[in-house]
Amino acid sequence: MPKVIVYLLIILAVAAGSCKSGGQGKDAGSEIPDSVLNEGIEISEDVMQDIVQNISSPVEMAAMIKDLGVPYSNRYISPTDRVGNLTTSYQQALNLGIYAADLGYLNMYNKTSAVIDYLTSIKTLSDAIKVGQFFDFTTLKRLATNSKNLDSLMYISVHSFNEMDKYLHSNNRTNLSALMVTGVWIEGLYLGTQVYKVTPSQQLAERIGEQKLTLDQLMLILENYKKDKQYAKLLDELQLLKELFKSVNIRIEKGEPEMIEENGMLTIVQHDKSIVEISPEQLSSIIATTEQVRNRLISL
Amino acid sequence: MKIFLPILALFTFALSDLIQAQDVSQLTAQCAANAGDVMYLKDFVVKLDQGTPGGAPPTARFALLLSKNVVYRFSICSAPSSDGEAVLQLFDMNTLLGSTFISATGKDFPFFDFKCQKTGVYHVFISFKEGKAGEGVGIMSYVKKL
Repeated sequence: MPKVIVYLLIILAVAAGSCKSGGQGKDAGSEIPDSVLNEGIEISEDVMQDIVQNISSPVEMAAMIKDLGVPYSNRYISPTDRVGNLTTSYQQALNLGIYAADLGYLNMYNKTSAVIDYLTSIKTLSDAIKVGQFFDFTTLKRLATNSKNLDSLMYISVHSFNEMDKYLHSNNRTNLSALMVTGVWIEGLYLGTQVYKVTPSQQLAERIGEQKLTLDQLMLILENYKKDKQYAKLLDELQLLKELFKSVNIRIEKGEPEMIEENGMLTIVQHDKSIVEISPEQLSSIIATTEQVRNRLISL
Repeated sequence: MKIFLPILALFTFALSDLIQAQDVSQLTAQCAANAGDVMYLKDFVVKLDQGTPGGAPPTARFALLLSKNVVYRFSICSAPSSDGEAVLQLFDMNTLLGSTFISATGKDFPFFDFKCQKTGVYHVFISFKEGKAGEGVGIMSYVKKL
């Protein structure tokens, strides 16, 4: 009988260790000595429902840029050679978001040879903040070696990022989630603004202007942690952008939604319309400030 | 034997948690694949209890930021073990924009496309028909730029 118990204990330990839902165990993040971890706040379920789930997607800006027919450029992505210098969980979470956005951009353009570097960097950073269990590095690396696996690569990359974010939320580490999302957002904005400099278009100008709404949501979340000086400094950086976005006007034209059923498929066409009013001068200021803020953040 | 039983219970509990997480992960991957030739952006996993008789069906709510000039696809899948059939609805404030179940015709759709013309915060609601208990997953995907 004792042998059975020993075997069961071993199996139990393995099962618990590999469990990805993670909600039951001790928060691994408590081992990180950074002061930021003490700033985590518990957010009630009601409030959680009102927090925007997808403040920033690691692929949406890249998808739009690709759809605009803009060619790929490695000048828009952050170099990976600085990962070893990122030693605090603040730096690691923020840069995890930055690299996740870069990975989305690389995947979008099927740049599989460069993808491995970014996968490795994300793996290092996600392990450092104890969310590496959601990042299936082996599978992703295998998928990245064959350009025919793009759909799976995209799905697993984005899904892994979402799972890390969910895990941080459910383990009272929303402070790190906020940093990851900030990293994704600033890199996405940087990508959009840099592309605009080279290939300006009305749609991209509007997309940049409407980041005013995203920034408001993001700052609302980061405000919760402003007692920590690192977060306060980050908010100061974002405030520079907020000041510029203030003069961007977004107005709404009202209309009734229309439901169309065609060939068994349902499509909803929205007739409300948001119109972004942004001048070339406002765009220039936003582009310049985004570049400064993003470059300061990646040089932390 | 006295020691064996609590360990076995603990083991069963840990294993069921692991299996459940894998089931959800598989359901999410399957549901994303069923959405077609689109790009997965976000999933909304729900597990709802049965509603009370005469009461509103239990509903999970998620806030989302959607961008103008993008076609999004919203898909819904119920776990095979669910009592009820999951329904996904998209709201802009109090206005229902779309649903995977059209009550007027009784028709179900595995997904619907939303041609977004207004950047802003929207809400996805997921519930189960007749307030039954169930598990399911909603998927939001990027279809194309308008």
